[in-house]
Amino acid sequence: MTAELPPGLALQKADERIMTLNVGPQHPGSGHMRIVVQIDGDYIVACDPDPGYVHRGEEKMAEYRNYITNIPHLERPVIHDSCNILYPYVLGAEEILGIEVPERAKYVRVIASELNRCIYTMYWLAIYGIFLGHSTMFMWPAGDRELLIDLMEKMTGARVTHAHFVPGGVRNDLPPNFEDTCLRQVNYFERRIKEYAAVFYDNPVLISRTRGTGVLSRQDAIRLGTTGSVLRASGIDYDLRVKEPYDVYDELDVHTNVMKEGDSYARSRVPWLDMMESCNIIRQALQKIPKSGSVRTKLKPNPKTKGPATVYKRVESGRGSLGCYIVSDGKPEPYRVKMSVGSFRNLIALPYLLKGEKLGNMPSVYWSLNYWPVEADR
Amino acid sequence: MGTATGIIKALNSGIKHIAIKRFTLRYPEEKLKFVGDGYQFDPSTGVGIAGIKGRHMLFHDHCTGCQLCSIACEGVAEAIAMVKVPDSQTQNKKSIMPQIDYGKCVFCGLCVDACPFYALYMTNDYELSSFSKEGLIYTPAQLAVKPYVQQDSEIQITDRGATHG
Repeated sequence: MTAELPPGLALQKADERIMTLNVGPQHPGSGHMRIVVQIDGDYIVACDPDPGYVHRGEEKMAEYRNYITNIPHLERPVIHDSCNILYPYVLGAEEILGIEVPERAKYVRVIASELNRCIYTMYWLAIYGIFLGHSTMFMWPAGDRELLIDLMEKMTGARVTHAHFVPGGVRNDLPPNFEDTCLRQVNYFERRIKEYAAVFYDNPVLISRTRGTGVLSRQDAIRLGTTGSVLRASGIDYDLRVKEPYDVYDELDVHTNVMKEGDSYARSRVPWLDMMESCNIIRQALQKIPKSGSVRTKLKPNPKTKGPATVYKRVESGRGSLGCYIVSDGKPEPYRVKMSVGSFRNLIALPYLLKGEKLGNMPSVYWSLNYWPVEADR
Repeated sequence: MGTATGIIKALNSGIKHIAIKRFTLRYPEEKLKFVGDGYQFDPSTGVGIAGIKGRHMLFHDHCTGCQLCSIACEGVAEAIAMVKVPDSQTQNKKSIMPQIDYGKCVFCGLCVDACPFYALYMTNDYELSSFSKEGLIYTPAQLAVKPYVQQDSEIQITDRGATHG
């Protein structure tokens, strides 16, 4: 090993067979990150993921803005999942500011959060399809995602980056006739994603490429601290919506999808099953939502905190558990905001999964980890 | 399931799509219909009214020049600057009104939430492209003009799939 040279630049002297290869950050199949892989022929010997190319300092920025003006920039890391990434921050800010949330607002939040989870997963699935060279699976989710984006646009006024959740509820009430439109489009959406089974999930080409590759065992999944769909694909029944219900998830019937295999195929299938579960949750929430009532507790533009406080809240986002740790020293601005994101925790598993795999399997294993580079860097 | 059956099933599922209606819409000729008249805010209840967050609209007869919209934008986009206007409005003692730079605006609508006098709304107009940076800066006089928008295309779900009509 030549330790003096930076990683990724050295051709190994000790063993000429092993070559170091940079995948990314300009590679279309890497996202905004670099994966340094050492290959022996076609087999991966070692892998070193190198995130950090899109670090924006969201956590530091949050220390200079008050609890309301933090909202537009904190949702930027995952613009497709912007309601979910704001959710723990908003729950924490409510506890610090001492605000009660109206019952109707809680249901509106659940609907928005589940719609956002589907929007994110469809985008993720489209990219997974194109990574495997399956261009139909890029076109179909990208098109069907529009159904839900239109719903979010009716609900929040923006196609992405909704800035919809605020401490004390949501920004605006549901538009007239939203329940009917939502039910109709979600039912159609569910019918559509069931068609993906024939063209993608039961397709022998996908199965031969992903079955048995990148197997993450049950023990390793716990030891490495993975979360979300990666954890559930390894046979562990863990979903924060069930285990630590927030808002009104304890009043809804949430089923957790678990698969035992722990390979790339299971990790790609669990988010798809989760989308169907999201449709179920949306239908339940639309039934149980109070027909009238306020959706937002009135708040001063520059709200005062009760005093020094520390809160940690976490929710189940599209990529797994998403935590937000807020320290307040009694000023209008938070003293510290720390986000614990699912993407970064799932990335830790990548070097373990790729060891001994073929280089051609790298995209399918990498993207099956439900990883979003921008969220991991924050 | 055998390999051949799986491939035939996959192909069959794709072939069905020949009969499905076109989902996309021809954008410049057809435009999506939006809910309501743009995002608005009711200061008495503290709750917004659902609508698209597009270009702002400023009501000169309500604006008092209190700068709350400009303060709300601090730390978000810094897009709002208060500029001097001719003192024709009696309620606006300082004769200043917001000027919005759409090169910076992120369309979050927090300025609309901050306005206590129903003076600032958002409209359905989202086509704001310009050839120059200066063209994106909207003066109070430009913001007072109600945009002309014709949007009529809506998602319809039929037996042959979803379509925009």
